Amino acid sequence: MAELSTLARPYAKAAFEFAETAGDLQGWSQSLATAGAVAQQSNVVRLLASPSVTADQQAQALIEICGDALNEQGQNFLTVLSENRRLQLLPDISQQFDVLKANREKAVDVEVTAAHELDAEQQQKLIDALSTKLERKVNMQVRLDKSLLGGAVIRAGDTVIDGSIRGRLAKLAESLHS
Amino acid sequence: MQQLNPSEISEIIKSRIDNLNVSSEAQNEGTIVSVSDGIIRIHGLDDVMYGEMIEFDGGVYGMALNLERDSVGAVVLGDYQGLAEGQKARCTGRVLEVPVGPELEGRVVDALGNPIDGKGPINAALTDAIEKVAPGVIERQSVDQPVQIGLKAIDAMVPIGRGQRELIIGDRQIGKTAIAVDAIINQKGSGIKCIYVAIGQKAASVAAVVRKLEEHGAMEHTIVVAATASDPAAMQFLAPFAGCSMGEYYRDRGQDALIIYDDLTKQAWAYRQISLLLKRPPGREAYPGDVFYLHSRLLERAARVNPTYVEKFTNGEVKGKTGSLTALPVIETQAGDVSAFVPTNVISITDGQIFLEADMFNAGVRPAMNAGISVSRVGGAAQTKIIKKLSGGIRTALAQYRELAAFSQFASDLDEATKAQLDHGERVTELMKQKQYSPQSIAEMGVMVYAADNGYLQAVEVSKIGDFESALLSYMKAEHADLMAQINASGDYNDDIAAGFKAALDKFIATQTW
Repeated sequence: MAELSTLARPYAKAAFEFAETAGDLQGWSQSLATAGAVAQQSNVVRLLASPSVTADQQAQALIEICGDALNEQGQNFLTVLSENRRLQLLPDISQQFDVLKANREKAVDVEVTAAHELDAEQQQKLIDALSTKLERKVNMQVRLDKSLLGGAVIRAGDTVIDGSIRGRLAKLAESLHS
Repeated sequence: MQQLNPSEISEIIKSRIDNLNVSSEAQNEGTIVSVSDGIIRIHGLDDVMYGEMIEFDGGVYGMALNLERDSVGAVVLGDYQGLAEGQKARCTGRVLEVPVGPELEGRVVDALGNPIDGKGPINAALTDAIEKVAPGVIERQSVDQPVQIGLKAIDAMVPIGRGQRELIIGDRQIGKTAIAVDAIINQKGSGIKCIYVAIGQKAASVAAVVRKLEEHGAMEHTIVVAATASDPAAMQFLAPFAGCSMGEYYRDRGQDALIIYDDLTKQAWAYRQISLLLKRPPGREAYPGDVFYLHSRLLERAARVNPTYVEKFTNGEVKGKTGSLTALPVIETQAGDVSAFVPTNVISITDGQIFLEADMFNAGVRPAMNAGISVSRVGGAAQTKIIKKLSGGIRTALAQYRELAAFSQFASDLDEATKAQLDHGERVTELMKQKQYSPQSIAEMGVMVYAADNGYLQAVEVSKIGDFESALLSYMKAEHADLMAQINASGDYNDDIAAGFKAALDKFIATQTW
């Protein structure tokens, strides 16, 4: 995992900088997401791992599968990847591209897991509070999880704010244990 | 069976519930990517610090050792069997701490300070970080008070002072631990607290040491920190640092402590294992590049600190007292090879070494100390007056004896002077032998060294010197208890004491035949 993301970093950076100058961040993000999803299909994975398929054939196959999702530069990008036999990095590249894009747009994906349904007012309150705290534009997704018993868990990247009853009970249990 | 005290337990629970910090602070979280050989790789954890404790599911803790671009390498402190890929790992914002204080005395604990002797929980009031920076130059004081080991050979020839680091080095099964245990036993009543750190030893050996200490009443002033061979490498690597923090408690409060690391070779092995698994590049003998720093930062914390430091540390509670932590690290050599990597490192870090030799051990000289290469670089200033005055001749006598002994094997007839020197050397060598678990007081050593210096042993057969010694010591104890007590109290040497020794020895020789 760690090694793959290291390999993917220069490609993601190059693609991002190119897309930025071209002014097409959204389009590139979608193309890469499609290509990444395709590269994760089990038969495509087998195709990419096969030594009997040449790099050129691999690139052609991927470009054909993706079809309209790729513009000309996108196709060139896949060809470059295939020349270095790095097509299996596509999911990582797509992920890193999105991180770079979010950083540039000062946006952050926040996942809120709540024990009860949150109404619109509560959601807006959360978004406002989080935007000031994280100093980012917040894209919030809400999930329901009854097993939290109460409260909510907020996840923004690596940062986790656990305000659930279950989390508090776990803390209490640990402090009684020690 | 342990008594269950309902009110007490409710009290604890109540106070814990009351004090529980339930504020939902933002935490840094990561995902376990791989678990292998006690090394955990974690994706995420962007804000983790070097050496920080990491919490895993199920209350298991780890320590972050490698901070890389995409992942964090950590060692697990404890059982890693329950951990799996995909589980969460959380930052705690704390560095590793162990309990310290007088509550630990008489106990056997693991590298994290948890009791393992079955005597119930340790209610230590304080905890302290295991990695700390050693006191600086301004805060130190030179070594000038002795630590009596109780072995004639060591106290006479390689004296150890409070705050010194003296290495005990030698092959396996040669009496390194025996010296360490004798040193602990001899601290009974001296006010020096002892910490015995066992690293990578058999649990049975640790149990044997603890039993011996208990038998000789030395466990009351001793803390045993054990990371046995079956403990994870991380624990063996951390145990000396944990023990050191427990010793620093006394040093910083104007008291004296003695710590024994038995042995640092095994700690270096454990650290090598961790480093290789973390994929740090191997160097000489496959040790990582910072194995020198591993031992130097540990041994630098053994020091004598001045009263100003103690006063500042205790906020003025303890005034005018110096504190000290004396370290006796142990290193095991392979077939007497002191030029291997770790032995040379530790020799260069310490203030001297006690070198134990297999040939001498096999010849029956125990402790098997080689007086020629064993040195103490700072202990001379700390030696008790009487021993310093009397033992000057011992080192030279032994040095000359070694030289002549080799030479005399080839020469058939020797002149009188040479014969006398050989004779004297042989007797001094015999005198330096000492049984295990029978440390001697300053006065006892003084009278024996006086007897050797002044030719009282000349008339005694070499094989009878041991008997002569025990007879003389019991005679001195019975007839001259006052003189002995006076010497033990002051450690002084003057004409009166010399006259007292002379009178006593003359009378002893006159009344007994040897």
